Amino acid sequence: MKLGWGPEVGEFQTELRTFLDEHAPAEAAAARNFAASDHDVIPQWARDWQATLFDHGWMIPAYSPELGGRNATPTQTMVYLEEMARRGVPRSLHFPGYAIVAPSLLEFGTPEQQALAPAAIRGDTVWCIGMSEPNAGSDLAGLQTRAEVFDDRFVLNGQKVWTSYAMWAEKCFAYVRTDPNVPKHKGISLLIVDMNTPGIEIRPLRHISGSAEFAEVFFTEVEVPRDNLVGTLNDGWRLTQGSLAHERAGLWVDSLVRIETTISDLVALARDRGLDTDTGYRRAIASLYERSASLRALGYQGFAQFTNGADAPSEHQYMKFATSELHKECFELGMEMLGELGAVIDGEFAEAQGRWLRSYFVSFASTIAGGTSEIQRNIVAQRVLGLPRG
Amino acid sequence: MDFTLTEEQELLVETAARLLRDECSPSMLRAHMDNPGAAAPLWAQLEAFTELGDGPCTDLALFCEQLGYVAAPGPFFADAALYRPLRQVLGIHDERTGTVADSGVYAPDADQVDVIAVIRDHEVMFATDASTRLVPTADSTRRLFAIGREPKAGDTVAIADDQLREWRSRAWVAAAADAVGTARRMLDMSVAYAKERIQFGVPIGSFQAIQHKLADLALTVERATSAVRYAALTIDERDADRFRAAHVAKAAANAAAHQAGKDGVQVHGGIGYTWEHDLHLFIRRAEGSAHWMGTVNAHHDAIADILFA
Repeated sequence: MKLGWGPEVGEFQTELRTFLDEHAPAEAAAARNFAASDHDVIPQWARDWQATLFDHGWMIPAYSPELGGRNATPTQTMVYLEEMARRGVPRSLHFPGYAIVAPSLLEFGTPEQQALAPAAIRGDTVWCIGMSEPNAGSDLAGLQTRAEVFDDRFVLNGQKVWTSYAMWAEKCFAYVRTDPNVPKHKGISLLIVDMNTPGIEIRPLRHISGSAEFAEVFFTEVEVPRDNLVGTLNDGWRLTQGSLAHERAGLWVDSLVRIETTISDLVALARDRGLDTDTGYRRAIASLYERSASLRALGYQGFAQFTNGADAPSEHQYMKFATSELHKECFELGMEMLGELGAVIDGEFAEAQGRWLRSYFVSFASTIAGGTSEIQRNIVAQRVLGLPRG
Repeated sequence: MDFTLTEEQELLVETAARLLRDECSPSMLRAHMDNPGAAAPLWAQLEAFTELGDGPCTDLALFCEQLGYVAAPGPFFADAALYRPLRQVLGIHDERTGTVADSGVYAPDADQVDVIAVIRDHEVMFATDASTRLVPTADSTRRLFAIGREPKAGDTVAIADDQLREWRSRAWVAAAADAVGTARRMLDMSVAYAKERIQFGVPIGSFQAIQHKLADLALTVERATSAVRYAALTIDERDADRFRAAHVAKAAANAAAHQAGKDGVQVHGGIGYTWEHDLHLFIRRAEGSAHWMGTVNAHHDAIADILFA
């Protein structure tokens, strides 16, 4: 056990830091703020930045240079994720293309489909993921968007919801039902859908803090070429696992660093509000700190298991619900410290209040999106603790 | 942070687990309640490992986790986790076994060691002839002694604030390791029970309420365990973060100890509430550990002092 990473990362880290010092855009710092404006969800600076990362082999370090990487080792990838998180520099402002579509195509796609991966990683093509539906949230396999199967094409009818970036996407990675007569997991297929196809209607969905980064997507007699099937017909459920496997062991890093930043903000807020000598608030902040520090250690414990060959370290099964709930609690405390003005945005404090308020509301989604806390706990109980399914 | 254990460390953990499983059963713990001599065979085996107290905190902490898992009685902790590190921070060499009473707090196992190091203000007196009184506690596995006001024979050595801080941080981490070990024991017992206990025709572990409770408990235990290992690592590398890390470790371990006890009984239902069931042996050890050397609030206050400095 040791605190540092050893010689294998020294040069890698220096190169990364030099690159970031020279190229990281100033706008990136503001983008990390939970409450950043959504007026331009994928601004030009972000598109340019993602392309720069790709061209210099810093987009997905573990991939080969043609795919925007530099053949990095798992430990080097961890160092990369740590550094990016520490600086608050996002790789991209739209994750579907590089995080889900590209790895899925590379693993399951035809050569023609794999050729789409570089543009997805570079961000030249913006993708959205068509997964959740009004009647298929946690029970994703219950999805109903129907794709009728013909020799040369599919015809889609149905609806997707919570589709992030749908308003800006050129393509959709859509999970559809190609066989309604078999058990639900067995009749799902994965299709690449061109978002310009006639019959697709996008309706932005506003969420509780007022902005609309996601949308409902309606399909009415949408024709999709047969060649756009990814993998085998009716084998799509298996493909939902496609993601950056080698980065899975470091997914928690960014969430955790954000929590640490928020805790620093809480300390500053306590001072601003004259609450820094109050035992109650001091202990509340210390408690949040204790839990985030121990979660950080848990994340590294999991990474150690990963480098020792554990494909899905048990330690990491906790991270999603633990970090999202902890972050929510941080924002709740921030709101509490704002006092009587907590829900009001007025006066000299307006900007700070606005940020805390918005962050607090936005955090309500974090325990739902990407797997609810309840489902995550079921997974821990059943897969990690071995308790029987109900 | 690289958390991979070396082969030697893995072997140490395996050896400790096996040894303690064989030598420290719940029935021995019950016998020990009335007869401290029942733990003599265990101490005979553990004496060889006390030199872990002179080595890396990481290794000692790994060993202490295993001790906590079986609620091992006896002077191992006193000698290895308290006395030896105190000698080391003061630069003293000694062949004797010892325990420590820090600033009026009780000394563990004072009747089974050669020396009681009594810390008062900035002095440490190595007393070989002190009046001691066994104090009744809820935790029979950890025998605590009150030390008389005027210990008689013994050398006195000065100790500075920074030395105290180093020694205490190491002691907290070792105590935290013991606590997470006991918490893990109760988690394991509860998970096992949930799998075998049938009600309404199914194992109660299939009910979501039980699953979520145990998932939350597992998170608390895992998080605390990692926090302890990290703290031990910072101590071994004399990292600037080590004092903060030690407070985090002890606070996290205390929380795990409390939660494992409460949730453990809840999952076991009525039977977990009986004297006959072994669970309470571990609840007592865990509560003892959680209150000893700083409660949650005490360590949170210290963390706040660091954050607001």
